[in-house]
Amino acid sequence: MKSRFVQTTHALLMFTALVFGGSVLAADPIKIGWISSLTGALSSAALAENQGVQLAVDEINKNGGILGRQIELLTRDTSGDPTKAVNFAQQLAFSDKVHVVIGPVNSGEGLAAIPILARAGVPNIVIGSIDELIDPQKYPRAFRVINTNRQWISTANDYALKNLKKTKIAIIADTSGYGTASAKTATELLEKAGIKPVYSVLVDPNKTDLTDEMNKARAAGADIVMPWSAATGLLGRLLNARGDMGWRVPVVGHPALMAAQIRKLLNKPEYWESTFAAGYHSTTFGADGKLPQRTQQLVDKVRPKLGGGEIDVLFWWVAMGYDTVKVIEHAIKTSGSTDPVGIQKVLESTKDFKGVFATYSWSPTEHNGFPDSNMTVNSANTFKDGSFKSAPK
Amino acid sequence: MLTVLITGLATGMLFAAVALVYNVMYSTSKVLSVTTGHISMLGGVFGAYAISVLQLHWTLGLLAAVVAGGAFGALTELLAIRRVLNRSDEHLWLLSTLALATMVQQAAGLWWGTEPKPFPRLIPQDFGVGVMDQKFWLPIGMTLLMAIGLELFYKRTMYGKVFMAMSEDAFAAQARGISTDRIRLMSYVLSGALGGLAGFAAGQLTFAFFALGLTLTLNGFIALAVGGLGSNVGAILGGAALGLLNAYASYWFGGEYQQTIAVGLLMIVLLVKPEGLLGDRQVRPV
Repeated sequence: MKSRFVQTTHALLMFTALVFGGSVLAADPIKIGWISSLTGALSSAALAENQGVQLAVDEINKNGGILGRQIELLTRDTSGDPTKAVNFAQQLAFSDKVHVVIGPVNSGEGLAAIPILARAGVPNIVIGSIDELIDPQKYPRAFRVINTNRQWISTANDYALKNLKKTKIAIIADTSGYGTASAKTATELLEKAGIKPVYSVLVDPNKTDLTDEMNKARAAGADIVMPWSAATGLLGRLLNARGDMGWRVPVVGHPALMAAQIRKLLNKPEYWESTFAAGYHSTTFGADGKLPQRTQQLVDKVRPKLGGGEIDVLFWWVAMGYDTVKVIEHAIKTSGSTDPVGIQKVLESTKDFKGVFATYSWSPTEHNGFPDSNMTVNSANTFKDGSFKSAPK
Repeated sequence: MLTVLITGLATGMLFAAVALVYNVMYSTSKVLSVTTGHISMLGGVFGAYAISVLQLHWTLGLLAAVVAGGAFGALTELLAIRRVLNRSDEHLWLLSTLALATMVQQAAGLWWGTEPKPFPRLIPQDFGVGVMDQKFWLPIGMTLLMAIGLELFYKRTMYGKVFMAMSEDAFAAQARGISTDRIRLMSYVLSGALGGLAGFAAGQLTFAFFALGLTLTLNGFIALAVGGLGSNVGAILGGAALGLLNAYASYWFGGEYQQTIAVGLLMIVLLVKPEGLLGDRQVRPV
């Protein structure tokens, strides 16, 4: 009798294990690694992106996950340090065995970490803008959702040449790797359009005064100044030099010209006038004062998480973070599994996938998914609720 | 061209001020602390915090900068110097001061933020006055005052003479009953206060920026090495030379050559005159 009881219990236990064990296996979470830089320098972009990433993950999980599987988000904070980005990339790919990785946030970290993810064969959603991060041969599973640096530069150049009708261009860039490369690209693109800059200079990002450079630009006959630097201190000094000189020359360039910190560095608020920077249609108010519908919907969803009041971060970061997860959802859903080869194939055949930040398309030879059509130019001093007004056409 | 001269001179005088801070610290400890530039960074940040955030009068902002600098000077001596010097003659202070400098920079970044923030106007003056702007003249004037004050301190006060005695021979000074630990701590508080003062005076030029420390540590050291370790006049000359060379190199050749020329200057001086322009030739009697 006893042995029959034991046998029945064993049978029941085995049955339970088979049924529930099987279902636990089927509901294994989809692991997404998120290499962020939530503290340290450059954390403001990452914190905003994190809001978007987290919101998309919560939404998807609330609606039953992807293919019935919940998303498990493994967030890693690099503090902007490329060494940590490399370590986390290895850890996520080889120990945690994540299915997809978003990030790293900064291009410098990306240069170090993306090759590792490529070697591990992990699909990677790239959110750094420098050109070298994307190469379908070297990194076949890396797909970019942000614009390239070249797109920022060509948008600003087009605005200077076609809208403002200025051809005597002064390029002022900083001596960092980013500034040097950008100055070169800007010059190349202008030369293709038949324009040779009247003045071009590289400046130490911590240079304490830019009056000399601006005086030289004016003496060279410049009718527009185009700065390529992400250093807000340098940009603030450039605008202060322009204002103190009383030179009413337009300034068009890097999106950092629109950063809220710039306003605080200016000697007078009016020094921010006639300053324009490359931006996005998705976060630009239309003539009717409204944002595109998708953006507005996301703004309404995110606002309570950002305190409920006016949004004081650049909203494109939030929108891009949100889109990274939605792109992953699209790839896994369409391919029907988390198999990296399947994800790669789906993304390489994705055309016009509608996100909030942009509408993306990738192909086997083009892993930059951000369209030129979503680029625009904003007036720097029009920041309101996370977005900007369009620059005068 | 006049703006190149004044900009170069103003930045050079900030480097000179950091070199003076090195000198005061070195006189009692024979240590070149990596935290030297960070002291001035704190002076700028705490000054801006007191005036812009706490809305205090600029004189209290100045006091905040001096107190913050002095406190950090004391912390440097207590945490990174004293134990190392007591236990070893090796140059381990390089590591301990580097560690402290890194920690204070990270802490400043977390608390103050990683973007440069404005430093308030101290004297009512219109913008657009060009080379007459206070952002140039405040660091120049302050550094010259600091140098004169230090000369008077060394020559006219008892503590100044004690500093000098320790600088000449710390063991002999100790044998004469001088508490070398206490005097060293005092010299670090004094140098911290001076560094805070320099950072405050140059705040409008540099902005209140958490990452300024290492740049100042490096450039202050170059100014010191060029001028001659231990010489205050040398520090002023070295700082001025470095600032002007930086400014003119940037003006004539572009910013990409600025650092190369600055470090090149250091190398040339060290090759031709290893003791610096006005430094003492160290001869060891055998």
